[in-house]
Amino acid sequence: MKYFKILFVLFLSPLAVDSAEIRFSGFATIAGGITFDDDQSLEGYDDNFSFNPKSKFALQAVTDLGDGWGITAQLLARGSETWNIDAEWAFLSYDASDNWRLIIGRQRVPFYMYSDFLDVGYAYHWIEPPNGVYSLPFDLVDGVGSIYNSSLGSFDSTLHLTYGRNQDEVNLVGADREPDFWNLFSAAWTLNRDWLTLRASYAQTELTVPIDDFDPLVGGWRAAGFPQVADDILIVDDFGYFAGVGIIIDYEDYLVVAEYTEVHPGDSVFPVQDSYYLSFGKRFDTLLVHLTYGADEDISKSILGGVPSGVDPGLDFLIASTAGLFASQGEDSTFFTLGARWEVSDSVAFKAEFTKYDDALASDASLMQFALSTVF
Amino acid sequence: MNKLFKLLLTISITFALGICNIARAEVAVIINSGNSATISDDDIKRIFLGKMKSFPDGSKVLPVNLKNSSDVRKAFDKKALGKSASQIKAYWSKLVFSGKGNLPKEAADDSEAIRLVAENPAVIAYIDASNVTASVKVIRKF
Repeated sequence: MKYFKILFVLFLSPLAVDSAEIRFSGFATIAGGITFDDDQSLEGYDDNFSFNPKSKFALQAVTDLGDGWGITAQLLARGSETWNIDAEWAFLSYDASDNWRLIIGRQRVPFYMYSDFLDVGYAYHWIEPPNGVYSLPFDLVDGVGSIYNSSLGSFDSTLHLTYGRNQDEVNLVGADREPDFWNLFSAAWTLNRDWLTLRASYAQTELTVPIDDFDPLVGGWRAAGFPQVADDILIVDDFGYFAGVGIIIDYEDYLVVAEYTEVHPGDSVFPVQDSYYLSFGKRFDTLLVHLTYGADEDISKSILGGVPSGVDPGLDFLIASTAGLFASQGEDSTFFTLGARWEVSDSVAFKAEFTKYDDALASDASLMQFALSTVF
Repeated sequence: MNKLFKLLLTISITFALGICNIARAEVAVIINSGNSATISDDDIKRIFLGKMKSFPDGSKVLPVNLKNSSDVRKAFDKKALGKSASQIKAYWSKLVFSGKGNLPKEAADDSEAIRLVAENPAVIAYIDASNVTASVKVIRKF
């Protein structure tokens, strides 16, 4: 919010209005969906048709300050967050040359192939990119970024780096938490040539996520003389990293998109997560029909190696509780989505999707969604 | 659900009947008469996609689009850029909403495009080929 206020003042100041032209643009998605199973909640939807989980509305203001400097603010309201307005992007940019832009302020971490424009439904064929891959609990950073474009043979190369910190509240393990991700560094390299796009990304961070629900368990392990186990549950001063690769083939009427990611959240209750999806699409004039298959698998780890079982009932209770906690964080599911995007007009797209989840750890579920996306 | 499907069906039929005519206009790509740059089809494409920011000789290039609603723009998108108007719009929305690029300027009509090209050697634009005047140079027709 502090960025929002600063930018708001800047935009409204008579100086800015006199000296620079402000360009406004925006985008919106109105989406609705329903699950077909009682008591199943999926991607924010349940078995009553609702419009809020994926609907969003954003306004962006950009102005040139001269000498290569510019200012950009994107204010986004999400239905899933009771339409509260947040500054999704809020930065000063400096074009050091035609090919090199520096960004200072609040910006998106380029974890995934669609991260940069994740909220702009109009820019891609799904209603939202697959949830299994696009699953990190945060994607913004307050800091500095660098975007460098160059030619590599017949390919256009883009190297995108960011460095900074994120202390935004997130919902994790069933409640709002106040984490700290610092020394958060990311690098994404994209190669593009006509219909082919290749991408690789890497990110790392130091992190602390206080979750007080774990206190009794952690206290138990410390009292029992196993402080290492306590540390392996807690997320305090941990080191985590992320890696991903992706490809887009957009050849004439055919579209192929695939992405694979690994999340290594460090030694804590959160498991290592491998996810991928593969999506095929074909255009028929203004209609694009697509099919996506994906999987989301967590690699379970044992932190109880040095703990003897069956010796002491108190210890056995701790072992069982800890195993239960780790199991509750695990996920092993596959899904497929059959969908269509249809260009209703030059700037409005209508989308419909049916998704079926096959979950090894919970019951299967399916979801029907509709959306209208626009840019203006 | 039933009502929703009926609504969707109605929408589908309405739009299927109203698919707009593909513009048949011949498009002329124009530059300043004093500009002697040699510009390939691939250069034109890269300039209007924001990937190429200077002419082959190194001087700055300023692409100017016609308005979104223009049939000449639609024909240019299709013939010169090889994409539909909505694909181009989706492409630019990726750049504009991620701070990676700014939309090219837009001219209200052919005569404004001609005026901008005639006034500034950096500008490249396109117009309906039948509206070309002696004050600009045609480098390519689509």
